[in-house]
Amino acid sequence: MAEGFDIDHLAKLARLSLTAEEKALYSSQLNQILGHFEALAQADLPALSDDARVVDEAALRSDEPGPVLGSAAVTRLAPASRDGQISVPRVVDDES
Amino acid sequence: MGEVLHTLSAGELGRRLAAGTLTSRALCEALITRFKALNETVGAFTHLDQADVLAQADASDARRKAGQGRGPLEGIPVAIKDNIAVKGQPLTCSSKMLAPLVSPYDSHVAERLRAAGAILYGRLNMDEFAMGSSTENSAIRKTFNPWDLARIPGGSSGGSAAALAAGLVPLSLGSDTGGSIRQPASHCGVVGLKPTYGLISRFGLVAFASSLDQIGPMARSIEDCELLLNALASADARDMTCFGPADRALAPSGDAKKLRIGIPKGFLGKGVAPEVAAAVNAAVAFYRAQGCAISEVELPSSDLAVPTYYVVATAEASSNLGRYDGVRYGHRSASAGTPVEMMTASRSEGFGPEVKRRILLGTFVLSAGYADAYYVRALRARAKIRGEYLAALAGVDMLLTPTVPTPAFKVGEKASDPLQLYLEDIFTIPANLAGLPALSVPCGKSGHLPVGFHLVGAPLSEAKLLAAGRLFEAAHGFAHQQAAL
Repeated sequence: MAEGFDIDHLAKLARLSLTAEEKALYSSQLNQILGHFEALAQADLPALSDDARVVDEAALRSDEPGPVLGSAAVTRLAPASRDGQISVPRVVDDES
Repeated sequence: MGEVLHTLSAGELGRRLAAGTLTSRALCEALITRFKALNETVGAFTHLDQADVLAQADASDARRKAGQGRGPLEGIPVAIKDNIAVKGQPLTCSSKMLAPLVSPYDSHVAERLRAAGAILYGRLNMDEFAMGSSTENSAIRKTFNPWDLARIPGGSSGGSAAALAAGLVPLSLGSDTGGSIRQPASHCGVVGLKPTYGLISRFGLVAFASSLDQIGPMARSIEDCELLLNALASADARDMTCFGPADRALAPSGDAKKLRIGIPKGFLGKGVAPEVAAAVNAAVAFYRAQGCAISEVELPSSDLAVPTYYVVATAEASSNLGRYDGVRYGHRSASAGTPVEMMTASRSEGFGPEVKRRILLGTFVLSAGYADAYYVRALRARAKIRGEYLAALAGVDMLLTPTVPTPAFKVGEKASDPLQLYLEDIFTIPANLAGLPALSVPCGKSGHLPVGFHLVGAPLSEAKLLAAGRLFEAAHGFAHQQAAL
């Protein structure tokens, strides 16, 4: 089942930067783990049910504004902030 | 008196506090003294704000003096796994990613504990983001099994179990996604309950695999476990899967000696250590002698449980952990660059090896071309496993197995083989896949190492599981056991 396993592509999708050693290690371990998953491919399984809930009851609340943390608390958590806003690396250039 | 307070149950401490023969301050001071003496050795806690604990204790004593005590947990310390939010305390998930984070809000369970008058007592070590079975994946420190300091305490709630076994606290909270409460409870000789999915709100629990995660109580006796469960379970509109009120789960369960107990066929076979099988067989013999009806049940898809779990859990984890991007909170890489480079560098620096491994695995099983072969088939297998468990539980009140196939292994012994570590969870995983309540009860020793048995019941049958555990506990000497340190 694990044909086409591409560690570089996976790392890119997962937004992870891996060293050569990490790539070799994770490739080997993931292949071993995926080999163990082979039982899933062989099993006789029921069709997927629409009802994936594990309990029959579930609570839905009314969609109304509730208490919020506020910008001071939020910016205190942020790695970098300025003037009550979260700072991030420049996303767009000054000139288009 | 200070020397023995750490040996007492929460129930007994509550009775002394109510009688006025003990104050919460005296209790907390005794536990802080023990923390100072032992935490470096055991490594259960990652943080304890002693001044805050004593301030909470003084407030509790004042409430009690004013006749405003809040119930049986008033003044009793409860230690909390470091993935459950408590306002003003660190919330690190034992990860470098969240090392700087102090929670700005309370989880629902923290609110419930405050409302019950409990002391929110420190942060407990865990496998990073609850991913692991040994607490060796913590980025902060190692935790050791108090019964043998060369061995692991189990995981991921290893700090929660070790703190109890070392007498550092009478009650603790863990979280359980595939066995993370029950497996360390078994390895440390304490009681651990994973409630029915939805019984306890997950609001304020850092998400690992949302369809599997549950918060649960851990204690040194069934009585204490039940005391904590009663305080935690209630409806909460902030978690749409939390259905409370939980009257049915907590109602008196009738005569435990009339329970029908199913033994899954083949579960005591390959892979189970002889001493573990012997202790579990002795527990089965005990229940039979008490008058319980023992029968064998079939769970033919049990071999699918581990692969199903590791597809579903890693898929959900890869999605849930997408939020750690170095933008709004947590670690941000100092290396400059584009936003994507900053996010990639922050994640690569912040996450440890097991978390990266699971994110990669989860990303793969959800990726185009593979999702049908892995994720969708795992959902179908999950439905099949759940169906088999519910069918078995239609004929019996609960299923009994070992909690873990072998006693606690040595630190480092399985660190290089993730698949071997995943197989630690073989008996505990199905309860998460099926959303069922499950309890680990200490039942003996393999040499000097604790062994537990595992009870799984139908949804909302917590009271029955606890009754069965209480019947066993009352006839054996394993309640309130602590390692000699």
